[in-house]
Amino acid sequence: MTKSLPVLIELQDLCKSYMNDDVVTPVLYDINLQIAKGEFVAIMGPSGSGKSTLMHILGFLDGYTSGRYLFQGQFTNTFDDNELARIRATRVSFVFQAFNLLARTTVLENVMLPLLYHPSIPVSERVSLSEKAVKTVGLQDRSSYLTSQLSGGQKQRVAIARALVTNPDVIFADEPTGNLDSASGVAVMQALQKLNDEGHTIILVTHERTTAEHAKRIIHIRDGRIVSDSTDFKRVIAGETKNLK
Amino acid sequence: MRLSDISHAAFKGVTVNAMRSLLTMLGIIIGVGSVVLMSSVGESMEGVILGQISSLGPKSMVIFPGKQEGGAQGVMAGFDSLTFEDLRELEQLKSIDKLAPVIFITGRTSYGREEGTPQVFGVDDNFFKNQNISAREGRLLEKDDSDGGKAIAVLGSDTADKFFGSINPIGKRIKVGNNHYTVVGVAKALGSQFFQNADERVYVPFSVARTVTGQKYLNYITMVATDSFDLAFDDVRSLLRRRHGIDTSLNDEKKDDFVVRSSAQANEILGSVSLGLTLFITTIAAISLLVGGIGIMNIMLVSVTERTQEIGLRKALGAKGRDVLLQFLFEAILLTMIGGVIGQILGIGLAFVIALIVKNFLAKYVFAISLNAVVVSFFMAVATGIAFGISPARKAAALHPIEALRYE
Repeated sequence: MTKSLPVLIELQDLCKSYMNDDVVTPVLYDINLQIAKGEFVAIMGPSGSGKSTLMHILGFLDGYTSGRYLFQGQFTNTFDDNELARIRATRVSFVFQAFNLLARTTVLENVMLPLLYHPSIPVSERVSLSEKAVKTVGLQDRSSYLTSQLSGGQKQRVAIARALVTNPDVIFADEPTGNLDSASGVAVMQALQKLNDEGHTIILVTHERTTAEHAKRIIHIRDGRIVSDSTDFKRVIAGETKNLK
Repeated sequence: MRLSDISHAAFKGVTVNAMRSLLTMLGIIIGVGSVVLMSSVGESMEGVILGQISSLGPKSMVIFPGKQEGGAQGVMAGFDSLTFEDLRELEQLKSIDKLAPVIFITGRTSYGREEGTPQVFGVDDNFFKNQNISAREGRLLEKDDSDGGKAIAVLGSDTADKFFGSINPIGKRIKVGNNHYTVVGVAKALGSQFFQNADERVYVPFSVARTVTGQKYLNYITMVATDSFDLAFDDVRSLLRRRHGIDTSLNDEKKDDFVVRSSAQANEILGSVSLGLTLFITTIAAISLLVGGIGIMNIMLVSVTERTQEIGLRKALGAKGRDVLLQFLFEAILLTMIGGVIGQILGIGLAFVIALIVKNFLAKYVFAISLNAVVVSFFMAVATGIAFGISPARKAAALHPIEALRYE
C-alpha cells in the first residue's frame, strides 16, 4: 500500500448480505481496506468470491449491510440516492466487461454521455473534453463512427474514454478484458496503465492473472473475505495457486 | 441533467426506431386526425346551413300549412289549412308587417323549344322584400302588377340563363302551363335556400296565380315582425289557433295544423346539432386517445424492459431517478406530439380533399378548419402522453443500477 499518498477509500468491517424471500445470503465479511489516491489495484478472485459486489459497493452502485465506508474521509452511509448519483457523475466512473455502449450512437456521443449528468462541466466544453478523451485512447479518427462499426478492443477503449472524460477520482474496471482477444486485452490494459501513470486511481476486478499483472497492488478475495493484499505480485500469484489447490 | 439534454435524449429514443415509433403513434394519429377532420367537415357544413338560414332576416318567419310532425303525411294532412281569410286577419296584426302569401303553379315552363320545370311562385312585391331579392336585369314585381293582374313574370337567374342564355330575356314571352307571361326582369342569384335552388324559379303576380290555379288556400306565407319577434310569433300562433279552433290550453304544437318557421328557430336547431356533433367528436376523440394511450403505454413498457441495461448504464454514469423519469416521459410526450401533428396534417389534408369533392355538389361548401379542434386535440394528445407515459417512466426511474446493468 502506498502510505505516502492520501487515502481515497477506506472500508471498516464492511459486510454485505443479499436477502431473497427471507433467505439471507452473506457475500462479504468484515472487509477492511484502504486505497490511496493514484493506486492501481486489482481485486482478484474466483467466480462468486464477491469481488464484483465489492467493486459495486466501492463505486456507489450498491449498498452495504454493515460496517463503514469512507470516501475521501467522508462517511457514505448517510448519502441518499441523489447524492450517490452525484458522486457517480463526478467522482467515480466505470468500465464494464460488456462495454455497455449505446447502440446506434457515435463514438463521440457515447464518450459525451457522462457529461450530460455532470453538474458543473459547462455545455460548451462537452465536445472538446470528449474529443480529448477519445484522443487519449487513440480513437480520434473513429469519433464519428457508430459503435457497431468498431472491434471489441476499440469498443472497450471507447468505454475507457467515457470513463475518463469527467476526470474522476477513481476508475473502476470490471473484467475489462473478459470479452476481448488477448491482443486487444493487452491494448486495453496498457491504456489503463497509461491512465494510472498520469495519476488516475484504477481499481480493477478480474479473475485473469495476465490482466492483474498490470496492477501495482493485488487484493485476493475468496468466499467474501480478503485472503491477501500485496504489492508483491509473485507472492500473490503463489498464494492464489496454493489456495486454488 | 438539463431540459435540452433530456429532450435530445428523448428525441433520439423516438427516432432510433422510427418504424416502431410510427406504429406506436398510429392510435394518436387516427384519433387526432379524425377529430380535426370531423370538426372541419362540421364547420364547413355549419357554414352551408347558416348560409341557407341567413337568407331569411332575423325577424322573418314563414308559415307553412300542415302538422309539425309526420313528414309528408303531416303536411298533406293540412295542406289546405292556410286560407285567404287567415291572411286577411293576419294583415290586421300590428306586430307583423310585409305579409307575402305564396301560391305555387304547377306545369311545364317553356320558351320556344326550351322546356323545363322551374318552381313557379305566385307572389307580390313583399315577397322580394322579405327574401332580400333584388333585380339583376329589368325589374321585380311591384304592387300594381298584382293589383292589375298582369300576365308578367320575373325569372330566377338560373331559369333565365337556361332558357335564354346570352339573349336578353326582357320582353320575351314564356309559357307556364297553358298561359303566356312576358318577362319583365331577372332576379339576382340567391344560391340555395333551405337546400333548394332559389335561382331556378319563375315569379308571377299573386293575383294571376290565384286566378290560374283557382286555389282557395295558400302554399305558404312569409312575413316580418314589426318590432319584437317573440311577440309577433305568439300573435300569429294565437290567431291561427283561434281561427282553426285548436285547443290552446296545453300549448301543444302537435295539435297545430300549421307550422311557423324562423331563422331564430333554425339557429336553435343548428345549435343543438352542433352540440350533438361536438359530443360525438369528443367521444371519438376520447376513445381514440384512450386506445392510442394504451398503445403508447404498452410500447413504452416494452421499451423500458428492452433498454433496462441502458437505464442501468445511465444511472451508473450519474443519472438521477428524475433524469431517467423525465427522459422516458418526454419520449411518451414526444410520441404523442409527433402523432398529434401528423394526425392534424392528415385531418386537415383529408378535409381539404373532401371540400374539393363536395364543392361540386354544394357550391356553398367552403373548406374550414376548426382552430379549437386543432388546439384542443393537440393538447389532449400531449395529456395522453403524460397520463400513459408516467407509469413506464416511473418504472424506469425506479430501477436499481446494478440490477438494471445485469439484466439480460
